[in-house]
Amino acid sequence: MGESSIVRGACDLNIKMEISSIKDAFDRVAKKQKLCSSKSQETVDQVGREIEQALAALRSPQDPSTLADQKSVLTELKLKLNAIGALQQLEGPHKELNTSLGKYQKLLEKLLNPDISKAYRNVDFDSHIINQIIASHFYHQGLYDLGDSIVNEAGEPDATALRSQFLEMHQVIEAMRTRNLQPALTWVTANREKLVQIGSNLELKIHTLQYVEVLQNGTRADALKYAKTHLAPFASLNKDDFHKLMGCLLYAGRLENSPYSELLSPFHWEITTEELARQFCSLMGQSYQNPLSVVFAAGVEGLPTLLKLANVMAAKKQEWQEMKQLPVPVELGKEFQFHSIFVCPVSRDQGSEENPPMLLPCLHVLCKQSIIKLSKNSTRTFKCPYCPAEATVAHCRQLYF
Amino acid sequence: MEMDSLPNGNNTATGTPTGATVGVNSTPTPSSNLPRLTESLKLEHQFLRVPFEHYKKTIRANHRVVEKEMSAVISGVNDAAASNFSPDDAVNHLNSLVSRLQGLKRKLEEGNRAEHLQAQKCRVRLDHLESADAENMSEWNNTRLKRILVDYMLRMSYYDTAAKLAECSNLQELVDIDVFQEAKKVIDALQNKDVAPALAWCAENKSRLKKSKSKLEFQLRLQEFIELVRAENNLRAITYAKKYLSPWGATHMKELQRVTATLAFKKDTECATYKVLFEAKQWDYLVDQFKQEFCKLYGMTLEPLLNIYLQAGLSALKTPYCYEDDCTKEDPLSQEAFRTLALPLPYSKQHHSKLVCYISKELMDTENPPQVLPNGYVYSTKALEEMAKKNDGRIICPRTGLNCSYTELVKAYIS
Ligand SMILES: [Zn+2]
Repeated sequence: MGESSIVRGACDLNIKMEISSIKDAFDRVAKKQKLCSSKSQETVDQVGREIEQALAALRSPQDPSTLADQKSVLTELKLKLNAIGALQQLEGPHKELNTSLGKYQKLLEKLLNPDISKAYRNVDFDSHIINQIIASHFYHQGLYDLGDSIVNEAGEPDATALRSQFLEMHQVIEAMRTRNLQPALTWVTANREKLVQIGSNLELKIHTLQYVEVLQNGTRADALKYAKTHLAPFASLNKDDFHKLMGCLLYAGRLENSPYSELLSPFHWEITTEELARQFCSLMGQSYQNPLSVVFAAGVEGLPTLLKLANVMAAKKQEWQEMKQLPVPVELGKEFQFHSIFVCPVSRDQGSEENPPMLLPCLHVLCKQSIIKLSKNSTRTFKCPYCPAEATVAHCRQLYF
Repeated sequence: MEMDSLPNGNNTATGTPTGATVGVNSTPTPSSNLPRLTESLKLEHQFLRVPFEHYKKTIRANHRVVEKEMSAVISGVNDAAASNFSPDDAVNHLNSLVSRLQGLKRKLEEGNRAEHLQAQKCRVRLDHLESADAENMSEWNNTRLKRILVDYMLRMSYYDTAAKLAECSNLQELVDIDVFQEAKKVIDALQNKDVAPALAWCAENKSRLKKSKSKLEFQLRLQEFIELVRAENNLRAITYAKKYLSPWGATHMKELQRVTATLAFKKDTECATYKVLFEAKQWDYLVDQFKQEFCKLYGMTLEPLLNIYLQAGLSALKTPYCYEDDCTKEDPLSQEAFRTLALPLPYSKQHHSKLVCYISKELMDTENPPQVLPNGYVYSTKALEEMAKKNDGRIICPRTGLNCSYTELVKAYIS
């Protein structure tokens, strides 16, 4: 733990330093830009002043030799402007500015990844599907304005399929936030059988919340009546919970000073709300986590590895476009682990129906093909590669994860 | 409206958020593995580059104005010195130069303000990048997803939704709506079969387009030529071709010949080679071409960022198990939409076993090791212990119905 946090600290420090060096480079750009623009102003002023002076000379009381004078004033102005070299004056700081702009851009390219599309495989990525995913993403989060907006703008009327279901869910949850359990109770009652089928006792949990409210705010008789009607049906399957809830009756109205004060914690509302959202999604056939967010988060974690791989494979563009499996693992956090994947420690092959994982008598696990190889085609006993124990194929058992 | 949803688990705030936010998680909590922060921030080149290109562009345009006006004034003075103006004319002439300089001064001030604003925007982005750390990464990534959704919408011309999302999440400074305004004008015109703004855009960015060997202008010119042929305005078409197309002959002779050959065929030709040139989808093609050049010029990826991240994520998540009927709903690849997108992508690769408990969906590792039932089915120790506690020490296999005692289980060692 300690070591990894040191490593992490070092890396954080590293990127912080890089960002601050980018910032410094940008400050230099901004400084040159200011210099450049004040030089421009100055030059414009200077040229303006010279012309104004010439104008003043031209307007001064005239005498017969005016025309010759006018000529010399204008020629003098021309020479003065030549001497100022306005255009060259402008060019100098602008060149410097350009240099620092170029340096900044190079620094960005050096410290950051200038083209993350290098890992992109050129396949048709259907924008209709992506639009639908985005619309569902917004509906999933209860952002109906945004969902409707993209459905309209992208012209994807079919993308509203999930809208009404998610709307109902968000209404139930919203009501729970204001401690109104009625919509939640209506929903769990309507879906009682399905919930029982998936082993959820959500209905009891919601009734418990309501019961605690009655206990605190109503009379003991109200609470007892509520318990008889709504909690009793769950008594046989949830004996302990039921006994505890009945025990609370003794402390009606003063639960905060009882052994059961913990029941008043807002925590119960939060976890029950979360569980309701989970079960609601599950009965809808939807995931609780927002799937676009999950894929995106996996992309953020996986892309750096894929970019390194793309760099290594830069010479083999064709292979990159055609490979059926990535040649290296892309390590993702455990929150992205949805399936059991067995990799044989001997052959490094991924387990499959034809080549399943097998448990040796010593409790080490190898894939079937490795065992067959070790036993010379099941003809003799073999030593486990991980311990001194001996085994025969007949004594190995297939595992199901 | 607030888009962030409740964070996972223990740090759930007790205050109830107002508005439409509800307890549905938008992002999984990240695991604590983070030398990844650095890697992850390095993906943000476009985020810094685009406002920088905008800044540069403004600087360039301002400089061009000063240069042009200043040389005009100087040559105005030179002209005056060389000519024989009457006294009044000389005064008027200089006066006009003075007011020209005053005009330039105003433009300079405006230009300077614009440069300053854009520099600010670059700084805001740098600050935002700097604000990311291991503690707020989950929230930072939520914002990142929103930014990338805005990027997608802008590229797809869904400007309203892009603006709404940016506004309700307070992201205006972190997305490039202003830059895309420039593209919108050109695209709208092209969709109305008007190439003028696109040509103006090409002229504005001439030297950079030339450097990247862009042939967008040529393609626009060809389309204008085709429109003249379509209108059976052959004489004008020929004049047009001489003036605007022939300069491209050196580099694009084949295309040039093919298009000018339409003069002999007219718009209702059945010859496939030429018929296609008259089709309406040529205009869509021009829009695509323009978008590509536009993205290149601003240092954006040619593909929407969203597509790039989605591909990476799907490849990393894709396993053969995702396409089975019993794939868990929490796997995005259980959904048709994601399955279809992932179809042409490679499967992920594992070097080590990663086992997920069928019952609890938790990872089976040294802290929660796998245990084997007599029938070979494997579940996590925690899930089995809990089941045994509820059932007086009995275990019922959820997949086969086998009933056995907790004492019959053995631990499996998976390396
Ligand atoms: Zn062994």
